[in-house]
Amino acid sequence: MSHKINLRVWLSIPDAEAVTVKNTLVRRMGFQDVLVDVKKERLFSIEVDSGNPEELAKSFAKELVNENKEDSIVLFDELIFEGGYVPVKVALHIEDGEAISTRERLRNRLGFKNVVDVKKATIWKLYIKGQNQERVAKEIAEGLLINPHKDSYEILAKPKDYGLIAY
Amino acid sequence: MKIAVMQFPGTNCEYECLVAVKTVGMDGELFRWNRPAVELSAFDGYVIPGGWAYADRVRAGAIASKEPVMDTLREEAAKGKPIIGICNGFQVLVESGLLPGTGKIDMALAQNVMVSNKKIVRRGYYCDWINIKHDATPERCSGSFIIDKGAMLQIPIAHGEGNLVTMNKDLIRKLNENGQVVFRYCDSQGQELPEFPVNVNGSTENIAAICNPEGNVLGMMPHPERAFFSWQLPPHDPRKHSGQAGPGRLVFESMKRYIEVRA
Repeated sequence: MSHKINLRVWLSIPDAEAVTVKNTLVRRMGFQDVLVDVKKERLFSIEVDSGNPEELAKSFAKELVNENKEDSIVLFDELIFEGGYVPVKVALHIEDGEAISTRERLRNRLGFKNVVDVKKATIWKLYIKGQNQERVAKEIAEGLLINPHKDSYEILAKPKDYGLIAY
Repeated sequence: MKIAVMQFPGTNCEYECLVAVKTVGMDGELFRWNRPAVELSAFDGYVIPGGWAYADRVRAGAIASKEPVMDTLREEAAKGKPIIGICNGFQVLVESGLLPGTGKIDMALAQNVMVSNKKIVRRGYYCDWINIKHDATPERCSGSFIIDKGAMLQIPIAHGEGNLVTMNKDLIRKLNENGQVVFRYCDSQGQELPEFPVNVNGSTENIAAICNPEGNVLGMMPHPERAFFSWQLPPHDPRKHSGQAGPGRLVFESMKRYIEVRA
């Protein structure tokens, strides 16, 4: 039976890229009155056609997460968030060489032949105050987070509390 | 003739560019990104060197393109002053909408994809000496003002994201029709073969450099400042110890000549 293993990974040390994005949005792009904070995650969506998804997820996390500086959460067949921010998913709409390399590494070098596909994305977690949070998130995505000639973005469903499996 | 060599956090080719600017007889000055942007108006031309401005955070050139100095460079470009963006400088110009010059982000310099025999053989960062052919007419562009059409230059590249892609189906046609394609990757015979290693990064139609419609803003992925003196050429090159000028010098000489003609 096929499953999609969503591995959310974030830095446990300070994320300089997220800080730079926040500073640019606040100091250069006029979002100082609405933007409270910016955080960032990497997302691996790994499709497998067999095997125990929980065991596979542990193995994938060992390969894809550097526990010295990163934390992660695994979600099976769905993608949900904790709340308090607007999650914006940014991914390449042109061929993603890093995702292909990750799939080949898992399949051919590490022997996970049940890996069918790997997709990568960045989740920008935008802490926005006031009304029209989705509109602000859209402006931020189109103004800074993507180049439409290679990236696409998606404002994901409103976060909610949910039992998450943490590795 | 004063040239500002821009310096963002992470720029790493500014000193070579400064030497190049001064050696051809222009007054060069490093211009840090956090100086008052209005001071840029006192300069006659601008070089945005290569490197990793803001560590390529978000994507190459994206953060630097939001700096106030880029607003001033837009204003100065509108006056016809020359701007040459090299490698990361090209990426900054694309992200700021100065290139291809439609006023918006109309293309991307995406991750290199090296294709050989129709298969992807490599991706990402690549560093080598390559050949480029001048595809514009002389005097069309500030950075190739004195270069004959069809002239070939051997210049190094060093980048991970130089693959010109666009969702605007008309853009490439317009660039060709307007003579905005300044350099294309070619082999040592001048043939523009579409595959690696000639097309070194998978760029659409082997495009290595473009200018804006007016011709004063040039963006190029190869590094002319690294082929400015003949002693910078690779060991096997017979010109290495000749004492002649390196091929990259033509780009800076062109900028100077462009400013002289406009004066």
